[in-house]
Amino acid sequence: MKAELVHILMPDLGDVSKAVVVQWLQPIHAQLQEGDDLLEVETEKTTFVIPSPVSGRLTKILTPETTAIATGDILGEIEAA
Amino acid sequence: MPLGKADYGDVLTLQRALHARRYAGKLGDLLLSVEHNPVFTLGRSGSRDHILVPTDVLEGQGISIYEIERGGDITYHGPGQLVVYPILDLREYGKNIHRFVWWLEEAMIRALSDWAISSARKEGFPGVWVGERKIASVGVYVKNWVTYHGLALNVSVNQEHFRMIRPCGLSVDTVSINDVCDSKVDVATAGMKVILHLGSLLERDIVTMDPKEVT
Repeated sequence: MKAELVHILMPDLGDVSKAVVVQWLQPIHAQLQEGDDLLEVETEKTTFVIPSPVSGRLTKILTPETTAIATGDILGEIEAA
Repeated sequence: MPLGKADYGDVLTLQRALHARRYAGKLGDLLLSVEHNPVFTLGRSGSRDHILVPTDVLEGQGISIYEIERGGDITYHGPGQLVVYPILDLREYGKNIHRFVWWLEEAMIRALSDWAISSARKEGFPGVWVGERKIASVGVYVKNWVTYHGLALNVSVNQEHFRMIRPCGLSVDTVSINDVCDSKVDVATAGMKVILHLGSLLERDIVTMDPKEVT
């Protein structure tokens, strides 16, 4: 059976027009549990922690540190367990 | 919840513990107010290049440096400065980061107005400004939609300490309430005023707690 790939999406932080990736808190290929701290983004003097949406393995990091991002952008990919 | 004068590290540990308890639903929303001993803090986008004096000079004056998780660059906390740390669950306030930062700034703008000090936001430069001088900063951390870190308002700060850094990475002048206000204001009074305005913006009643009730 083919593993399900889940996109990590930039959430809607509310009236925020732009944000930037500060750091990934997990390395590529890390095994994740749903809700694990995954990466930090910053906007308007606020650091926001994005949690892992599912359990599985982090297979792609599409937005490295300092990448500018917007709501709905795909930040990475997880192979769901 | 007034903490009086307290070391930065102790209050950082307290904030992290309260954040976890707030997320677990074991506490309601909290607003901590405190006056710190001298310290420089570097946020996630902070750089030590923005410290303009050698480390041994800082040590000689008893100023510590903390690298922390909040948003923003470098700032100073110390005697004569009000610091307020909201531990709030933003899921109960519409999950809106922009509005939360706006509330923090607005609470300070309204408090300053009570002392007839005209202040404003500055497009692209978060915080509160009196003319071209910065009087207050914001820097927040949000995990699981629960906040910590917060705001800092200069009441009667030693400007020499601010000159040791490039606040928020900017070459700006800072100012305190007592530089531009006829009546002398103390940090505790400023804290009560800012917290009352913040409560009003959040549409919550403010109840003063003894720190022993939650620590």
